Amino acid sequence: MKHEITVTVNGTKHTSEVDSRMLLVHYIRDVLNLTGTHVGCDTSQCGACTILFNGKAVKCCTMLAAQADGAEIMTIEGLAKNGDLHPIQEGFWEEHGLQCGFCTPGMIMASYDLLQRIPNPDEQQIRHNLEGNLCRCTGYQNIVKSVQFASKKMSGAPGDD
Amino acid sequence: MKISGSYTVNAEQQAVWDRLLDPDTLWNCLPGVQKLDKTGENEYDLAMNVGVGMIKGTYEGKVRISDLNEPHDYQMYVEGSGRPGFVKGTGKIELADQGDGTTEITYAGDVEVGGPVGSVAQRMLGSVSKRIVDQFFSCVEEQINKQGS
Amino acid sequence: MAVTRMFGASVKRREDARMMTGRAHYTDDVRRNHTVHMSVVRSPYAHANITNIDSSEAAQMPGVVGVFTGADLVDDVAPVPCAWLLPDCNLKVPEYRAIAVDKARFVGDPVAVVIAEDRYQAEDAADAVKVSYEPLDVVTNQEAAVKDGAPQLYDDVPNNLAFQWKLSGGNFEEANQSADIRISQRFVNQRLIPNAMETRGVLADYNPGSGSLEVWLTSQNPHIHRLLLSAVTGIPEMNIRVDSTDVGGGFGSKIPLYGGEMIACGIAKKLGKPVKWMESRRENYVTTAHGRDHIDYVDLAATSDGKITGIRVEAYANHGAYLSTAAPGVPTWLFGTMLSGPYKIPNIECTMNGVLTNTTTTDAYRGAGRPEATYLLERMMDLLAKETGLDPVEVRRRNFIQPDEFPYTVATTLQYDSGNYDAALDQALEMVGYEELRKKQEDLRSQGRYLGIGFSTYVEVCGLAPSSAAGMMGFQGGLWESATVRVHPSGKATVLTGASPHGQGEETTFAQLVSHETGIPFHDIEIVHGDTDRIPFGWGTYGSRSTAVGGSAIVYASRNIVEKAKRFAAHMLESSPEDIDFNDGVFSVKGSPERSKTIQDVALAAHLAWDLPEGEKPGLEDSYFFDPTNFTFPFGTHICVVEVDAETGTTEVQKYVAVDDLGNVINPMIVDGQVHGGIAQGLAQALYEYAAYDEGGQLLTGSMMDYCVPKFEHIPHMDVGRTVTTTPVNPMGLKGAGETGTIASTPAVVNAIIDALSPLGIKHMDMPFTPQRVWEAIQERKGS
Repeated sequence: MKHEITVTVNGTKHTSEVDSRMLLVHYIRDVLNLTGTHVGCDTSQCGACTILFNGKAVKCCTMLAAQADGAEIMTIEGLAKNGDLHPIQEGFWEEHGLQCGFCTPGMIMASYDLLQRIPNPDEQQIRHNLEGNLCRCTGYQNIVKSVQFASKKMSGAPGDD
Repeated sequence: MKISGSYTVNAEQQAVWDRLLDPDTLWNCLPGVQKLDKTGENEYDLAMNVGVGMIKGTYEGKVRISDLNEPHDYQMYVEGSGRPGFVKGTGKIELADQGDGTTEITYAGDVEVGGPVGSVAQRMLGSVSKRIVDQFFSCVEEQINKQGS
Repeated sequence: MAVTRMFGASVKRREDARMMTGRAHYTDDVRRNHTVHMSVVRSPYAHANITNIDSSEAAQMPGVVGVFTGADLVDDVAPVPCAWLLPDCNLKVPEYRAIAVDKARFVGDPVAVVIAEDRYQAEDAADAVKVSYEPLDVVTNQEAAVKDGAPQLYDDVPNNLAFQWKLSGGNFEEANQSADIRISQRFVNQRLIPNAMETRGVLADYNPGSGSLEVWLTSQNPHIHRLLLSAVTGIPEMNIRVDSTDVGGGFGSKIPLYGGEMIACGIAKKLGKPVKWMESRRENYVTTAHGRDHIDYVDLAATSDGKITGIRVEAYANHGAYLSTAAPGVPTWLFGTMLSGPYKIPNIECTMNGVLTNTTTTDAYRGAGRPEATYLLERMMDLLAKETGLDPVEVRRRNFIQPDEFPYTVATTLQYDSGNYDAALDQALEMVGYEELRKKQEDLRSQGRYLGIGFSTYVEVCGLAPSSAAGMMGFQGGLWESATVRVHPSGKATVLTGASPHGQGEETTFAQLVSHETGIPFHDIEIVHGDTDRIPFGWGTYGSRSTAVGGSAIVYASRNIVEKAKRFAAHMLESSPEDIDFNDGVFSVKGSPERSKTIQDVALAAHLAWDLPEGEKPGLEDSYFFDPTNFTFPFGTHICVVEVDAETGTTEVQKYVAVDDLGNVINPMIVDGQVHGGIAQGLAQALYEYAAYDEGGQLLTGSMMDYCVPKFEHIPHMDVGRTVTTTPVNPMGLKGAGETGTIASTPAVVNAIIDALSPLGIKHMDMPFTPQRVWEAIQERKGS
């Protein structure tokens, strides 16, 4: 069965016909060709597919595209504005929060959600709130520092989304 | 892995026995059953859709009932395979009259599973098999009582 | 040499720019029009005859392009090659079909593949392929597999023994006879699953017109894969392009060539269409090579004052159902040669039995052989400390090779380049505050609490490797590395490297190296890797070799460029090369620095070639092939402090200190990151990870729900320090950083837990130290 959906992704409205069973991550990657959102597992453990769905972090590998009708989505491609990196991206760059980079888009989107809820998290809060995202390269220490960097930078820049 | 359990049915032992061995019961009460063809005395070809955790799919295989000791106990042999993997099991089903018009069904068996269902979902098998068995026996009970009334 | 601050600077990584913004191109991100998708039908049995495959229904399903069995592809795709052919050990390499023919030998062994227009259709049709099996007896444990009467995987591999490899130096038997102290211990080094965040995958596009094949591949060594793909598909090497520019982690698991990738290439050629296959995570768990899986019986001989006189290891390595590409070398050369560690051990003997079982193949996993050696050795050091009553620090010091003894040849024949083991140990002790910790431990013990301090003073072999050594060991390749440095007319440079970074950051460190050598600004240097159509032949990234070996090729190519540029500059300045100084990209006449030319000036002149110096050719480009004369031997001390909660069995890592000596360091930020990640993986082996099979050969830890890939809260904060002992093996004096953390950390954590539990009389337990295991051990001791 086909469904017509209208989804706003990174500020652009898309209307598409999708199969009932098409996963949202495949819609984003294969229909919209936004390949920054990755598939790292098939059990929603790794978080590589994390996007912002109506402002909240979700793992889109276990959501259907049909469920996204009417939704506002932001993927990693929508984070930097006019070529300026978002403070979280800057944090990952400054603090060497990525190595192979595969988990990074999901990690950044999850961090975005975290910093919306807790603007100045301590180390424990960062570790606890990001535990749904796996990284095999960094041992997490520099990701914690990356989020702390972003937190500092964002609290000093009011109005930043 | 070993599975075992018991279920008390609000019906007489003989009625339970009859109902358990009736192929219509398998058809009506086994959750997800898609095909049931009799291939011999107490032998059936079966297709059944089962989900264990995230591993869902159809298993095709055989059910054989043997060593009938009416109305006390019998052996059941099941094997099925499909994309989710394979399931093989043998078990003994025992019926005991509780003296108050109810019958306790006790089952104990050994199940081997393989493929995705074995690697990903094995730790959930215990609860899934219990759910299926409970659903089956409660349906059996319902059928007997429906018939009785 | 030019003096800039590039060498040693924590320059931010340039690869991050595309990775942080979702613009990297991992294999699954590459798009080709009219791509068809492959799905694999896999055996659910660990050992079974395949009696029938009925694909009639599948072939009729929507979108299906074809269904292929092993028999269908026998003429298109040769068996999966094994590329480490150990000499002198009666090695038997059984036939390893990309798709099993007649018999499946592990759960996940491919039985058929379906090609369809999209992935969903391919998966649907794979469901409809009906395979009949006749199950056979299964053996999963390597010690059981070699016993008489065990199920046999192959008719021509008796007792499932693929090889028995021996290495010895000195005479262990004699040492053992005359020893004051003899200690024996059995160690299980459990099987691990690598879990690179990107699973394996391939996109293969064959052009029937040109007869060429383009392959996007999750690979750590694209040229090795090109060579092997050429051998198995019959497509000439020059007509295959492998591109592995962006790869989402490897940890060894993307070294081997696997059946799935071969089949996709074979079918792409057969169909003349691009074929894509991306492993699901579940497939990754059952088909991508696992790591470790040793059972090691160790005997140690020592004097009463704690000097080791000999060590003997009799071990069993589980290779799974087939011999993977590099598998035979891992538990042998990469293990046995490292049994001396940082210690003077005159008599060493190692026997390794390589065993085939009904499990997933094993191959290199971060550290590959060296973690297994370090683990048993560092555990034996603690057992020796216990036996002699010496402090674990003291017993180590008494056996260290001393700084003035390098180069030092250990009994296993390796010649260690350089070292100062006490210095790293001293620094780590200071960082951790050792003396206070021991006092604290005593206090807590009197309160019934279990604090433990664990050491690992390790040495590892990196910078693989002199090609002659590779040949001697039976590795079917060389281990030199290549580089081309090409300076363009504008003075900007493109650098081509045969190394294949996939997270290690060499796009940055290599640019730092070239900038350091040539004075060309960092941002004017592009590093190209991973694409066999662009780069010279190279052997790839593994064995902590990329910078030590590949970086050396880059340095020498850069220096040749500078030499040539100096001759040009001299000509342009009407001077002679001996009278030219080179500093920070500027050539000037000695004594009159105002007479100068920049390297950019020279680059332009060399390309215009209007006025060449006598005998010179135009252009400014050099290619260099660097074959190291020796391995490198990084070393260090890791100290782990834990508290075990006796009520729950939970281990809390309270402090982790790592002092590593990696020689010189180009980019400290990147090196720290490598050390962090390595420690996390090694610590996870000690505490969490474990691939479990049931007796039927089913992998019970077959997903991220069941196998514990550590999360944020599982990994402690790590304090990283360094000492610097340079190596003469390469021009940078550096040793390699990719694997030290993994190699060192596992025994440090285990030694800490055993130290914590020692008041209970516990001397050894096998990993992982899950709360349940620890709790049970505590209960057992308390009960008795």
